[in-house]
Amino acid sequence: MSRALPWTEKYRPKRVAEVVGNEEAKRQFLTWLRRWERGVPEKKAALLVGPPGCGKTTLVYAAANEFGYEVIEMNASDVRTAEKIKRIVGSSIRETSLFGYRGKIVLFDEVDGISTREDRGGLSAILEIIKESRVPIVLTANNPWDPKFRDLREVCEVIRFNPIPKSEAIKVLKRICEKEGIEADERALALLIERAQGDLRAAINDLQAVAQGKKRITVDDIRGLGDRSKQMDMFEILRRVFTAKTFDQARLITLNPSFDYEMYFQWIHENLPYQYKNSIEALAEAYDALSKADVYMGRIKREQEWSLLPYALELATAGVSLIPHKPPFKFVKYNFPQKILLMARTKEFRQKRDALLRELARRMHISSSKLLIEVLPYLKIIAERRRDVLEKIAHELGTTGREVLKYLLKV
Amino acid sequence: MSELLWTEKYRPKRLDEIVDQREIVERLKEFVRNKSVPHLLFCGPPGTGKTTAALCLAYELYGENWRSNVLELNASDERGISVIRERVKDFARTAPSGDVPFKMVILDEADNMTADAQQALRRMMEMYARNTRFCLIANYLSKIIDPIQSRCAIFRFSPLPKEDVLARLKYIAKCEKVVVTHDGLEAIWDVSGGDLRRAINILQAAAAIGEVVDADTVYKVAGLASPKEIREMLVLALKGDFLKARDTLRKLMIEYGMSGVDLLRLVQKEIFSEKSPLDLPPEAKVEIAELAGEIDFRLTEGADEEIQMSTFLAKLALIGKKYKVR
Repeated sequence: MSRALPWTEKYRPKRVAEVVGNEEAKRQFLTWLRRWERGVPEKKAALLVGPPGCGKTTLVYAAANEFGYEVIEMNASDVRTAEKIKRIVGSSIRETSLFGYRGKIVLFDEVDGISTREDRGGLSAILEIIKESRVPIVLTANNPWDPKFRDLREVCEVIRFNPIPKSEAIKVLKRICEKEGIEADERALALLIERAQGDLRAAINDLQAVAQGKKRITVDDIRGLGDRSKQMDMFEILRRVFTAKTFDQARLITLNPSFDYEMYFQWIHENLPYQYKNSIEALAEAYDALSKADVYMGRIKREQEWSLLPYALELATAGVSLIPHKPPFKFVKYNFPQKILLMARTKEFRQKRDALLRELARRMHISSSKLLIEVLPYLKIIAERRRDVLEKIAHELGTTGREVLKYLLKV
Repeated sequence: MSELLWTEKYRPKRLDEIVDQREIVERLKEFVRNKSVPHLLFCGPPGTGKTTAALCLAYELYGENWRSNVLELNASDERGISVIRERVKDFARTAPSGDVPFKMVILDEADNMTADAQQALRRMMEMYARNTRFCLIANYLSKIIDPIQSRCAIFRFSPLPKEDVLARLKYIAKCEKVVVTHDGLEAIWDVSGGDLRRAINILQAAAAIGEVVDADTVYKVAGLASPKEIREMLVLALKGDFLKARDTLRKLMIEYGMSGVDLLRLVQKEIFSEKSPLDLPPEAKVEIAELAGEIDFRLTEGADEEIQMSTFLAKLALIGKKYKVR
């Protein structure tokens, strides 16, 4: 099953007519694309907007296939810095295609995934490419109203997509079942559609998941799927990382536009010992990979070397999962990162503590970190036995100092 | 405060009171006589009198109102070079009071600054050279960039000779009416590693524990000085209880505020000291040494100290299993 083609790829429409739903959007897109046959139109880019799984990317590929365009795709896996984008697609926007294509379409998939932080200048590079382009450019996005798209909206033909209607979606699922030789309960398919809330890709993925090793699908099978939340939550991400069978399966998780890697590092760190509870070997191997990933993160943060990010993410996902002593996957309940909770809970205390350490350090002509390990341990011993000394120190430091000092000295 | 801790109470006020470092003291006294001081760079091991020498120099130059002419900064505690720049700028804005034509900036732990920050510091040294002298203090001269070295008179503080350290301890003990045995002094020398500040702290702590400071009380202090959580954490990890070991790690790092590098130093002390109660076979110690070195490197290169220290504990658990630590 892991080796088999995902059904979303296997049954991806090859022609525009096969793309279900969104008739108005399809018409608008084709009209825009046909203008290119008469020269460069005013709007050189189309921005396809709509929720996930409603056929945006599918339409682009189907139209390209049908009308003989070659698609040059940039997706969330590429770190989209201005420089990179220009290097990769910069040449495509001027040259014509070889090998008998009518032309090229440059597709920027999931532009929501372009973070204004990491992909410095990514969006403005796209704008520039649109300005220079002699070929059609297509962008897809989930949320067109994100303020960062304001400039893009102005130069693009904006085409809106809606969620796929249930009646259309169910037809697609039935057709797939037929071709796969699966007998499916009508109510089961309806439930699948219901859960997917107009996201046809999700519905097809779920269908493939429940159909694994089965010839018949019932309502009970669907209920066993568990709830599908719109964004992949961290529990799901961890489960996918730990159950990944191949490098690509693990790595792909990081390419999801909603993947928050800083949060992920905390989650995986928190939960490694639970997942590998009974294997010290596995735990040590996984932590070694995570630790190396963190070294890359350090270099990225210090040197702004964003090109290292893929290595860090691969080590932090595939690296912690595909280890020599991996125990069989077991279901464990994942925890919210305790470090984050602890940091939040102790915030006030830590602020007071740091202020106190700085004050003490200043008086002793030493740094606060040195004070912590070079002076405080002895001060603790002295204060535990000489209450008068403690009282005098606390007196000099005022009330909050007294509190924190007493805590630190555990008196 | 200054009367409560002996390191402050007995910190020399005048250059002549400084323990050892005779040549340095003579040259500094020459600067005072001429009321002319270049930029200074003091380097040497901890507890050899670098900060004290800087403070004494300031006191002898400016007398009782030295504080208004001296800006004391610690590079490890200031948040970035821009904060240091602002503070120096404010400080250098006003003219020195008294008859010395310049003010003094004492910048401790300067070797903890990045090379970029040191470049900015170099520019500051030039910009305010008219009425400000910098006295930089560092453990390692090699971590100070060449352009700063070339702008400073460099003073290398040598490790203090044993007899001078012991004499100072005896002097303090006499003033404080504490009885110290010969063994006690030897033990302090042994555990302080020649660091006079640490030696005095140990003396004071030992004096608080027992009537007489002998070898036993000193070693007891040395044991107590390392937080007991560190040993607990190591024992938990070596026995394979990683989750509890990590909880203890979090307590040390988040609640106590210890940095990963400092924690690793204390861990090493706990594991490698001759009096370690952990009693590991030598082969295990070799593996731990290699591991600690690697994690030390990753701590400085990495982003999240807790992840790095957790990696240390996970791999320590593996070593514990291999050598069947109970």
